[in-house]
Amino acid sequence: MAAIEVQNFSYIYPGESEAALRNIHFEVEAGQLFAILGANGAGKSTLCLALAGLIPHLFHGEMNGNVTVLGMNTLKYGPSELAGKVGLVLQNPANQLSGMRYTVYEEVAFGLENLGVPSIQMPERIKKALSWVGLSELGDRSPYALSGGQQQRLALASVLALEPQVLILDEPTAMLDPKGSQEIFEIIHKLTQMGKTVIIAEHRLEWVACHADRMLVLKEGEAILQGKPAQVMTLPLLKEIGIGWLRYTEAAYLGKKRNLWLEDMPLPVTLEQAVVGFLRV
Amino acid sequence: MVSHFGIFLPGCSRLHRLHPLTKLTFTLAAVIIVFGGPGKWFSALVPGLIALAILASAGLARIGLRITLRILVPLALMLLFVHGLFSPVNQNFILQLAIFKVGREGVLYAVLVILRLTAALFSSLVLVLSTHPAHLVQALEEAGLSPRFAYLFGSPLLLIPQLSGRIQSIRAAQQARGLEIQGNLLRRVKALFPLVAPLAFSALVDVEERALALEVRGFSAPHTKTYLNALQDSSWQRLLRWGMLALAVGLLAKRFVWA
Repeated sequence: MAAIEVQNFSYIYPGESEAALRNIHFEVEAGQLFAILGANGAGKSTLCLALAGLIPHLFHGEMNGNVTVLGMNTLKYGPSELAGKVGLVLQNPANQLSGMRYTVYEEVAFGLENLGVPSIQMPERIKKALSWVGLSELGDRSPYALSGGQQQRLALASVLALEPQVLILDEPTAMLDPKGSQEIFEIIHKLTQMGKTVIIAEHRLEWVACHADRMLVLKEGEAILQGKPAQVMTLPLLKEIGIGWLRYTEAAYLGKKRNLWLEDMPLPVTLEQAVVGFLRV
Repeated sequence: MVSHFGIFLPGCSRLHRLHPLTKLTFTLAAVIIVFGGPGKWFSALVPGLIALAILASAGLARIGLRITLRILVPLALMLLFVHGLFSPVNQNFILQLAIFKVGREGVLYAVLVILRLTAALFSSLVLVLSTHPAHLVQALEEAGLSPRFAYLFGSPLLLIPQLSGRIQSIRAAQQARGLEIQGNLLRRVKALFPLVAPLAFSALVDVEERALALEVRGFSAPHTKTYLNALQDSSWQRLLRWGMLALAVGLLAKRFVWA
């Protein structure tokens, strides 16, 4: 069963004449990791906001088509109803702190409190969420005393404590250093292994190629490519729209011209595939 | 002076342990009495002295005085200058400085205003120095205030640490690009816009992102909220709150109704 169905979705922000997204159509199966790629301004964040129900409930623009998440049409169900079922993590870690809680531990409790989870159940859920993101030792610290990477992990823990089935991540590593990014990617990998449906807007092709089940490529508000990373990430169109190829793909493509890559072998999108391919020759 | 929690100073004094609404009620009652109570000197002095005593009991008097002096000294000098020299009610002059004569009535009025402001500031510091903004917001929500309104009430205090960090970054960035923020008054005034404009714009962007993050964590969810840590309240504190409000309203009535 599809966890997410997006049918002919178009959206124009209030006061704008041009659509931020046009005729977007895709499905995400439950338990899949679905990546959204595109240059800045392609519409990735808008799509994430729509999947979380924030469009059209908080942004009152012009919306056409349907977005259905876990069987709930976002035209009918807003972020309040989706909270607890769908989690959203944004780019800027500091702006995701509620600012209303004293410690990391209490910050994770904030969402549970809003959803009316009995206080007796909270400690276990908080501890579990903090342990998932590796912040168990920092529970007593102020959220503002954490590093950017730790704050992003806290934002993730705050969402995970609500035990959502679908997790939407809008460039969660955009403001993090390589170590912080790696930590976030490891957590996402664990979540997919636990069977969560993850939608991620991400620039890092290498990671997407290794971990995504399917991907969607946006260009100026339109979905131009869709499929498995191995299919999509070797298409020349990706280079034409400025996203480019991975170095392994590029190396194999050039190798093919010099008989260093077998003609009938598909171009690689991971390091392992590249190594295997070059070794065969 | 700005910690991770705004200007709140964590502690375990009796004042810190009081329910936030008790402290909020004290602040409100004190401000009402300061500006509306009978006997202007009495009303301006007594609440301020009580607030200072409360701050002292929690070990917060020194920081309270430091904050008050920093805020009020420039204002006090200006008030004394304007009212002492130019108040239209000046009739008796106590000092002559060249062609300027300092009027007794103007000086007394300025001193009264300064005392009132000092008392109001001390009373407010009783609340903000000893109460975490989050606990204040929680107390208001538990008292039945809508979460949005409670957040609006607490957010200026909640956002102090973030804005303080942002101001430092903007100042460093602008100085790196040659903006001079030290020097005479004119130079400082000129430097204000390049500092304030980016702060205001970035704060607006932050507010939108924060609103999104709050919404997806169920901030507007229709459920009855629960709390991880219930705030400690007691019947004597509830009685004290009603008592303080009754006293403030009574003194206000004494001045305006039965005067």
